[in-house]
Amino acid sequence: MVLKFSINEMDSRGVVNLVGDLDIEATEMINDDLIPCLLEFQIIQLNFEHVPFVDSSGMGLLLNIVKRLKEQNIEVTISDVKEEVYEVFDLLQIPEIVGEETFV
Amino acid sequence: MQSIVSKGKTIEDAVNVGLNLLEASKKEVNIEILQKENKGFMGVGRKQAVVKLSINRLEENQTQPEKSSFKAEMDSFEEYIENLSPYLIENQKLNMNDSYPSTDMSPSNLEGKVWVKDNQLFVKNSPSHFSTITSCKGVKLIKNGEVVKEHTTIISEKDQFEIEIENQQQIKETTWNVSIDSSGLSARLHIEPGCIIKRNVQNMEPSEHIELCVEETVEVRNEIDYEEIMKKINALHVTYGINQSEIIKAMNTQEPGVFEIANGKKAESGKDGWIELKIDVNPRNGLVEDESGNVDFRESRSIPKLEKGQIVAIVHPPLPGTPGVTVTNEPIPAKPTYPIKLKLGNGMIEVDDKLVATESGRPFVERRGQLVSASIMPKYVHDDHVNLSSGNIRFHGDVDILGEVEENMLVEAKGDIYVYGSVNQAELNTTKSIVVKGNIASSDIAAGKNNMLIAELGHILGVLHGQLEKMIAVIKQLSQTSAFKSSDVSVSGLQPLIRILLERRFKGFLSLVNQYQTVVNKGEKYLDSEDWSFISVSLTQIFQTLSNQLITIERLENLSKKMFDLHELSQEPIEPESYITISDATNSNLYSSGNINIIGNGCINSKVHSGGKLNVFGVVRGGEVYGRLGVRIDEVGSGSGTKTIVSVPSDQKIYIHKAMEGTILKIGNVTRTLNADRKQITGYLNDQNQIILE
Repeated sequence: MVLKFSINEMDSRGVVNLVGDLDIEATEMINDDLIPCLLEFQIIQLNFEHVPFVDSSGMGLLLNIVKRLKEQNIEVTISDVKEEVYEVFDLLQIPEIVGEETFV
Repeated sequence: MQSIVSKGKTIEDAVNVGLNLLEASKKEVNIEILQKENKGFMGVGRKQAVVKLSINRLEENQTQPEKSSFKAEMDSFEEYIENLSPYLIENQKLNMNDSYPSTDMSPSNLEGKVWVKDNQLFVKNSPSHFSTITSCKGVKLIKNGEVVKEHTTIISEKDQFEIEIENQQQIKETTWNVSIDSSGLSARLHIEPGCIIKRNVQNMEPSEHIELCVEETVEVRNEIDYEEIMKKINALHVTYGINQSEIIKAMNTQEPGVFEIANGKKAESGKDGWIELKIDVNPRNGLVEDESGNVDFRESRSIPKLEKGQIVAIVHPPLPGTPGVTVTNEPIPAKPTYPIKLKLGNGMIEVDDKLVATESGRPFVERRGQLVSASIMPKYVHDDHVNLSSGNIRFHGDVDILGEVEENMLVEAKGDIYVYGSVNQAELNTTKSIVVKGNIASSDIAAGKNNMLIAELGHILGVLHGQLEKMIAVIKQLSQTSAFKSSDVSVSGLQPLIRILLERRFKGFLSLVNQYQTVVNKGEKYLDSEDWSFISVSLTQIFQTLSNQLITIERLENLSKKMFDLHELSQEPIEPESYITISDATNSNLYSSGNINIIGNGCINSKVHSGGKLNVFGVVRGGEVYGRLGVRIDEVGSGSGTKTIVSVPSDQKIYIHKAMEGTILKIGNVTRTLNADRKQITGYLNDQNQIILE
């Protein structure tokens, strides 16, 4: 399923609901649409509740988002990651890369 | 009651002595034997017989059985002396036991006593006291139809008693099992024979108080059935090497045990291909001691020489091993064997299974595991000094310099370098060996640098290979994960994944790759095999560049395999190893991947690194010397206090004939400074990681 997103605004805080697979097909959408939208917030929460599948490009995209936001001093957290997806994160040691505290 | 204790040579003697003293007849006394005589052996351990006689005229009626008892004792005793065989003693004891009731059955003796015979309880009342019994675990005493609950109870003749034993008879089944070991080479029968355990109340002699104890007799019953065993063996498909005699043994065993009832046949390993040299290819390791310890420079080298068309060696193919058979009749493949890998250089060709020289000259054959390099080494003789007018010398074979090597000059060779004169502020460099007759001052001398390079690269490759294997394992594991889609791999290859893995999980990988590439680039000219640079290029393509080439898991696996092979190769010892033999050195650096012999005055303020053994016949003053396979020095240290370090790895020893105060010995990571002059010392590390000097 192609990835879609919606953003709930709460003052300076944005909650991003991702729905669909975080994979290579989402590359353009994330780089061109999502990231520019996020730069206005001070705190971003990425909700992975509705992300059932990921691939390696998707992981690269996620790392890219976190990196870009942190460069702008935007606080990022990742929440509600499905167990199976977290297994992938864990194998690639994503929590260690972005900081364990990012995952809530 | 009058009684007396008397001694004698025999019991009879002792009794007679006693009777005389008491002035009594045998009928009038009770005789108690306190000690039987013992003749001992040759007088050693001899004991006299001791008896106690008590006059008991009041109980005259009792003397009769007493006497018979005594008689029985005497008779049996004589038997005992005559027949010392244990069997008879055993027998005799039984007889005595049998006779027991008859001796002591007399009612007055049994008064107030209780005893057990054949699971029956007997009691005889006494006017003065009651008998008591204690029942132990497993015995139930029923008194007048009621179970006695107390531990100890009083009994008398008027009561009716029954003894009940719990689990009077218990049957244990025979248990057994057949298993095949993991190698499939043996089938084992584990057996624990069954048994019948019978429990009875122990017979007890008459006494005022007795305990009812359970006596167990175990009768082993091995009920294993041959048919059943064969059925089980068939079910396990054991068909090869069945050992019937072991099965029979198992069927007859009385004790638990393991029987190997079938044996397979082990695979016999074959032999890797090998090379048989038909000529002597190694020059005598130049300038070595003869029996009397002298070194003759005139005998420094005897060079093997080869004519055109001569057969250098025969290449033997590998001999395959014989496969083995498991007990289930499956073949066990023999370890694979490998042929010789030939790398032929200049002047050598392979004809059928033979190596033949096409040019005359010095044959050169080097072995490293299954890899054999062979060539005819050309020789260049420079009959003058090496200086600005001759220029640096670079040659792909042996180089002989008849003069001296002067300041800032370089001699580089693929074969051996032999310098007749001295070397001053210059550099000698070869992948093979170096001999210098003159003095060496302020120079760099290196032999077999390629070997050291290969050792270094091999080490890095070993680590890289381990990491790459892990990386492949993680990638494979990822593709097994349910939430992971590998669809993008066909589009963009493994690069995105690898990039993430390198970010954290294999953080040190890239720096190792860099290190490897640096060493390869630096030493490219010394590395004969292109495999080293091939791996370097592959590593760059896969891990360092953003090339469009698709990286597949197969490619990673291929690379990993290549790395493994090369790493294995680098671990193999090389034959023949490079060496350096020189007279003496001052302020110089010596490096050899093999042995270093310094046979003249010694070395002063020099750095010496030997990948083999380091032998210094003279002195070592100042500087640092190292021998990977041990160091032997005649004299070491300096009176002036210049730092002198002698080092070896932790598993090697240092032998020094004479060491001066202040010399530093370093073994592994442990150092020790000598605080006095020492002679004839051997230094090594003990189990506690301390340097021991002997």
